[in-house]
Amino acid sequence: MKEIRLANKIVKTLVKDRMQYPGRLVLDTFSMIARCGVLLILYWYVFKLNNGLINGTTYIVVAWSMFFYFVFSIMRLREISRAIMQDVQTGNIEVLFCKPISYLKYKMLWQIGSGLYSFLFVAFFGTIILALMIGFPSTMAIGIFLPTLLLSFLGAIILSLILYSIVGLLAFWIEDINPIFWVVDKSVMILGGSYLPVALFPKFMYNLALYSPFGASQFITHTVYDSWKTDWLMLTGLQLFWIVVLGLAMYLIFLSARKKVSVNGG
Amino acid sequence: MNKDLRFTLYAIKKNIQNSAELRGSFLMNIIGMAINNSAFILLWIFFVKSVGEIGGWTAADIVGLQGFSAISFGVVFSAFAGIRKLPDAVTSGAFDRFMLSPKNLLLRVSTSSFNPSAIGDIVFGIICLIVYGFMIHIGWLQSMLIVALIFIASIVFFAAAVTIFSMSFYFMDAYSVTSGFFDMFMTPALFDGGAFQGIMRFIFTFLIPSLLIGALPVEITKDISISKLVLVGVLAILWFLLSIKIFNKAIKKYESSNFMTFGN
Repeated sequence: MKEIRLANKIVKTLVKDRMQYPGRLVLDTFSMIARCGVLLILYWYVFKLNNGLINGTTYIVVAWSMFFYFVFSIMRLREISRAIMQDVQTGNIEVLFCKPISYLKYKMLWQIGSGLYSFLFVAFFGTIILALMIGFPSTMAIGIFLPTLLLSFLGAIILSLILYSIVGLLAFWIEDINPIFWVVDKSVMILGGSYLPVALFPKFMYNLALYSPFGASQFITHTVYDSWKTDWLMLTGLQLFWIVVLGLAMYLIFLSARKKVSVNGG
Repeated sequence: MNKDLRFTLYAIKKNIQNSAELRGSFLMNIIGMAINNSAFILLWIFFVKSVGEIGGWTAADIVGLQGFSAISFGVVFSAFAGIRKLPDAVTSGAFDRFMLSPKNLLLRVSTSSFNPSAIGDIVFGIICLIVYGFMIHIGWLQSMLIVALIFIASIVFFAAAVTIFSMSFYFMDAYSVTSGFFDMFMTPALFDGGAFQGIMRFIFTFLIPSLLIGALPVEITKDISISKLVLVGVLAILWFLLSIKIFNKAIKKYESSNFMTFGN
């Protein structure tokens, strides 16, 4: 109960804080238009050239899948890597380790709180605009869609945070984690179905997206496909598998990282 | 002019020497960025495989597109990385020290920082263009065109960067706004050029110069189109002059709010 209260407090405080800075909201809205908006227009043209069907998938399904990817990216969970690196580089880490709260848990809640306001705003208005412009695919009308979407969304948050925290924790050994961050981030970007939706992947790539943690962290983009009806249980299971495996790896890396810290005071 | 050029070269040289001191990090940044960029090649090759050719664009053209975009990005954000830090400099008041410098202000700001990872973009871009050359069997004329187009694309990129980051002087939350604008410029520059037709091609050529740094150079090289080359050249000069004008106008909006950042 105490843990939940603390989590609630951190997230609530950060949401309130972000509401005071409309600039970040402007950036996220701009980003959404710049990336997702432009891509949706271009894909509309590409689908038109192919008589509205590519790989057996229609534009409306692809558009919603890409929208889910970009709207999820507004939560900026990946920033946790650089936040941890910054703590290590600046020495803040020794102060945060002395606090009576788990460092990683605090960082994760901080990340969720700082992206939640923009996410909710863009998701709400983006959904309305997209629905008015292209409508909903029939796959979004089935009964299991909303509950499984929420489940997949929750899994995506946890797995993304774990994945990027592992990258961030590497800062205890190598000073600059950026090159590793880029590789992981691009793997998530490709296998998550950002610029090229998963439905358009060749067989090999599709399997990679399905069975790798990078693709699993973005299973939210699969929820609009026809196959979701039958595959959702397997995909949720895969997501859970990676959460457990990588969560354990993160915990062990964190224990090892703690030993590397020398508190100098001052 | 000569003096400015000498200063620019001197600043770039010192910046490179400075970054190279941290050799491990320097090399990791370069290699990491080159691997990072390969992702886009993979992505678009799969795209062409799934969707087929659009507007006559093949997988080879995508390689060329990534080459031109990466080199122009790399040239500008390695040697002139300071321009990207303009929002921070304006917000923190660190811009004061540039204004006190007797050198050309734009050059002083642009060359104030160096980004080693952008060297990775240049390396990646060069490899892409060599591969592209082999794939489309280019001749001497096309090779010379590629060199000229790299130069032109870099000027356009620099002009676009100066224009975008000059917005820092107009907005309170400079970082947020300029990041949004930069995304709007950069995202279409990496997309399959064949998908830009009609109004979209017009917008991203004349209003937002995204196609000038990659898609149009590829089409010029492939078709040896002199008319397109002239168009891109003229637009590059116009954008360059316009960006300097915008920068000079924008700095008049600057109000010092220094947080004691002299010497940073």
